[in-house]
Amino acid sequence: MKHYFKKISLLDYKNIVPKSVIGLFIILILLIPVFTQSVVIVSTLTLTGIWAVAAMGFTLVMRTGQWSLGQSAFMALGGYTSAILTVQMGLPFWPSFFISGLVSGLIALLIGMVVLRVGGVYFAIITLAMGEIVRIIALEWEPVTRGSRGIITSAPPPIVLWGHELVNFDTSLAPYFYFMICLVAVTAVVFWRIGESRLGRTFYGTALNPIMAEHQGIYLMKYRVIAFTVAGIFTGYAGALYTHFLQVITPFVFGFWQSIQITIWSIIGGIGSLIGGPILGTALLYNVGVYLGRTDIPGLQAFLFGSIVVIVIMFLPQGAGLVDLWKLFWTKIVWREKEYKTDEPED
Amino acid sequence: MSYLELKNVSKHFGRLTALDDVSLQVEKGEILGIVGPNGSGKTTLINVISGYYSPTQGTIAFEGKKISGLRPDKIAKRGIVRTFQSNVLYAGTTVVESMMISSYLQYKTNNWQSFLNTKAWKKDDERAVGRVVELLKMLDLQNDMNLPADGLSHGYQRLLGIAMSLIANPSVLLLDEPTTGMSHKEAMFVVDKIKKISEQGITVILIEHNMKVLMGVATRVICLSFGNKIADGLPEEVMNKQEVVEAYLGTEIL
Amino acid sequence: MPPVEILIEGLTQSCILMTMAFGMVLVYSILGILNWTHGWLYMLGAYVVFFATTAAGIPFPIGILLAGLAMAVIGILIKKFIIDHAGNELYVGVATLALIGVLEGAATLLFTGDDRGLATILPGVLRLGVVAVSYQKMAVIGFTLVVMAAMYFVLNHTKVGLAIRAVAQQPVAASLYGISTARLSLIVMGIGCALAGMAGAITAPIYSINPFIGMSPQIMALLAIVLGGLGSLTGAIVGGLIIGFMNSVMAYYISYVSEVVLFALIILILLVRPQGLFGASAK
Repeated sequence: MKHYFKKISLLDYKNIVPKSVIGLFIILILLIPVFTQSVVIVSTLTLTGIWAVAAMGFTLVMRTGQWSLGQSAFMALGGYTSAILTVQMGLPFWPSFFISGLVSGLIALLIGMVVLRVGGVYFAIITLAMGEIVRIIALEWEPVTRGSRGIITSAPPPIVLWGHELVNFDTSLAPYFYFMICLVAVTAVVFWRIGESRLGRTFYGTALNPIMAEHQGIYLMKYRVIAFTVAGIFTGYAGALYTHFLQVITPFVFGFWQSIQITIWSIIGGIGSLIGGPILGTALLYNVGVYLGRTDIPGLQAFLFGSIVVIVIMFLPQGAGLVDLWKLFWTKIVWREKEYKTDEPED
Repeated sequence: MSYLELKNVSKHFGRLTALDDVSLQVEKGEILGIVGPNGSGKTTLINVISGYYSPTQGTIAFEGKKISGLRPDKIAKRGIVRTFQSNVLYAGTTVVESMMISSYLQYKTNNWQSFLNTKAWKKDDERAVGRVVELLKMLDLQNDMNLPADGLSHGYQRLLGIAMSLIANPSVLLLDEPTTGMSHKEAMFVVDKIKKISEQGITVILIEHNMKVLMGVATRVICLSFGNKIADGLPEEVMNKQEVVEAYLGTEIL
Repeated sequence: MPPVEILIEGLTQSCILMTMAFGMVLVYSILGILNWTHGWLYMLGAYVVFFATTAAGIPFPIGILLAGLAMAVIGILIKKFIIDHAGNELYVGVATLALIGVLEGAATLLFTGDDRGLATILPGVLRLGVVAVSYQKMAVIGFTLVVMAAMYFVLNHTKVGLAIRAVAQQPVAASLYGISTARLSLIVMGIGCALAGMAGAITAPIYSINPFIGMSPQIMALLAIVLGGLGSLTGAIVGGLIIGFMNSVMAYYISYVSEVVLFALIILILLVRPQGLFGASAK
């Protein structure tokens, strides 16, 4: 695995300007629900954020050199857990939501302890099979999951503080949007810390040269399982949010094609970056996929999306993702032309 | 009881015998040279000590405790660290990044403290980074810190390999042909560094083909041939022993 | 002891899986990549034989060969124009995964998602006492035997086969002996994809044909490879046998959770032997 992880570190203004552009962009996004009531825009952004969390999870696992083709299974596990706890068992929303991510993480831990021993292509295949197994269980375990009918969930209850209703999930989509922002933010902060800490470095070691890393005191299984479990937890929360946002979960929502898409978004986004890459990749490609799916012609979306991905892959320079292209854009195009002026780039 | 002890260690791969009943005692502070023609089992010996293989028979003990059969990371934690013959170790990283990944055992704080960026971690990190810079300076790599590791010349890549094993806090350093492919000047540089490493209290075991290096640095030498230890003693004695000469030349000298 | 029909069904499944797994392992050994599209080439092979026999009146056996040829061509095109242009292993994986969408989408667009049925080419059953075995299933078994024999012959008694084995074991040394790895990769890709297409073709009359039939054989074949050990052709065959039989037998006894149990069993086996039954051991 040669040039998968690229890091270009620049100092002073060259670092600050692109980051402030991103910061500005983020602020604009945060304000979108204030400026628009459009259901389409807000829900698209919410779903993009939810899937971006799943993509970040995939990238974290990839950081230890393992390719998981079953991440959608954890979304299903989180979603179904929350649905079952709230609907079938009548438990209140917030505790159920909290537990759903932990359940998903627990299953990631148990499966990871077994299948991460093999690693490599085996791991990809096993996680793929795992995704299918979760789907089959959701489909067949009627008493618990209600099979193909799925479970209809309800919106989270209003958040009331000192008798004043602060947030009401039934009146508009904005609360869901900010809920998603919170989830993305927490995930981003946690993953950022992991990347900056010794954990992140150690993950790199297990991916780049497991034998060498082992001989330097790194217990491979421990770190692979940590990455897989953490990813499982956050992906589970993403699934739970998804379920309460759309207020339904069925066995058909999270399947192989979703796992493939998560892979595609993350890798094209750039797996060298734990946060920017997956978010960028998801933001771009998920929405391309949604756009292509607007015509209801069966098969067209898959055909076009797949073709676009194949073409993009053929033109991406080795090991680079969209994030690296963003950085290249700044270093090659912007800074070469304007040495000390810091103009806004034409995006 | 010696510092590092191999008792009747054999390693078989199916019908191939790589090591045959090898017993060895290494004292603390020694610089032990391992010589022998290609295929005699030298690297296998290192592989068995470092935990990459488990011995088929026999035991290995370090500081009185058994280490044979343990995972490599456990053995590394006990203080036995090795280098590898291949050059590019952590592909795609810079020199400093390679060192930072290798610095796992250098830290006294744990992953949680690192994740939460506590004061204790920051201090530990500062110290570790200082040690990384110190080691890079010692091995003449201080100018290449932010260069890609695979862009270095062969000699410097080997030096980086040695630096990467040193940052892992070894008490015993296993060097697998450290000077292969180096010029005489570079090899002598390595000799000087091995002496400095030994002065810091680290026991060194090195596989070497370069006689000048070996004679310049080893306090004791063993010779392997077809998996057997055929000589064990002072460098001059071993290298002049008839069996050793025969092992290298392959025939009887009339 | 399950009824003989179940065992025959198991054997039939095994044959399909063996053929597909064999092709996948062959491709993996030479190209070093896992081709995720095999299941969808299986699906397209079924369509080729369907249209060949119903629309063009081509006899079934020729239709099978046609399916194999068509899939070989598609495979070679994929290799030459997509895989060779991908930057690294990871991108190849993404590309072949994306191709799944392309192939399934294209099939849906061209042929619609409706089920097609190919009338059994060899109708009727063979009666052995109380047992009835459909001729079609016997054809699958027979076909697989022929294919395996052909593969054995090619690998062990032809120059191409020798080259394949050489490259699989020692790619660098093989190239030093003048074997063009690039051309060999195309040949192997062609063979592997042809096997998938023919497996789909021979099975077409037994099950229904629609764009989504590729998923199940793909996953089962993948599990067969995992069970058998990734680089091992023998492993592919044995793995295919085991999974095929286990699937049918368990489906008979436990019905819908058979896949779950199968998966759990494989996990258990991997616990004990992570490299698969015939896979190369780590140490």
